[in-house]
Amino acid sequence: MATSEGTTIIGESILINGNLNGDEDLTVRGRVEGTLTLTKMLVVEPTGMVKAEVQVKNCIISGAVVGNVTASESIQITKEGRMVGDISSPRVIIVDGATFRGRIDMGEVNVEGEDAALARGSSRPALRAPPRAALPRPERGEDQSKANAGEKSAAKPPPPPVPVAMGAMKRKVIVRRK
Amino acid sequence: MATSIEKAPPAPQRAGAHTIIGTSIVIDGEVSGDENLLVLGTVKGKISLKESLFVESSGVIEADIETANVDVSGQVTGNIVASEKVELKANCKVVGDIRAPRILIADGAVFKGSVDMDVKGK
Repeated sequence: MATSEGTTIIGESILINGNLNGDEDLTVRGRVEGTLTLTKMLVVEPTGMVKAEVQVKNCIISGAVVGNVTASESIQITKEGRMVGDISSPRVIIVDGATFRGRIDMGEVNVEGEDAALARGSSRPALRAPPRAALPRPERGEDQSKANAGEKSAAKPPPPPVPVAMGAMKRKVIVRRK
Repeated sequence: MATSIEKAPPAPQRAGAHTIIGTSIVIDGEVSGDENLLVLGTVKGKISLKESLFVESSGVIEADIETANVDVSGQVTGNIVASEKVELKANCKVVGDIRAPRILIADGAVFKGSVDMDVKGK
């Protein structure tokens, strides 16, 4: 039985009428009516139906939602998603095929020139971590080892340690020596 | 293993037919449905199911319960009406009246309330 902690599932035949609060992810396959407040992610699956005032951090709608949704981070309506109500979130993603009727508020939007773009960029929290810094390019390493080889021939002190985990580079060096 | 009896029974194989209320979830209102419900969090109000309710040790129920089976390892405050069986496991805490044709109370369970196994009225 997959009772992984931190995940709540409302099954297909379940109806909840009232208030639902929580600090964990919630997957709705059944019906929830009333108010829904989470500090994490709400996922409404295609069979799910939410008729509620929703306040969450992230929201992915693949089912039906009727009511106002406030998300502190993002809201996504997938191609199967249907929603009627107002959205308030800094990031709103509505994909092709989604059905939506209502108002959208993404917060402060300055519509004038470059300032607008800047303000928008800064007011939007990054969804994903920025891409990792590119690894040092093999060519550079090769150049470095070339230089090191040159130094060796000139009877200089031992070269600084070459970055490890670069098997390919090492092989190249050997070939060059021959 | 002998301890397998103590664990929750295997989930039905129907996909998506199992509902879990997680530890940090608080529901205030009414929960109804036709499938098993596993409660690790808190439910207040009313629960009516056609299948089984499992209250795990972290689960807290302050509600009237109407189901087929109830399996309590946590806390329940409220009246329980089950059409089949109520099982109070060791270390559970139940306050309220229970009505069911079969009622099991394990050693170590804490219970306060009345028990009615008479099913003629049903």
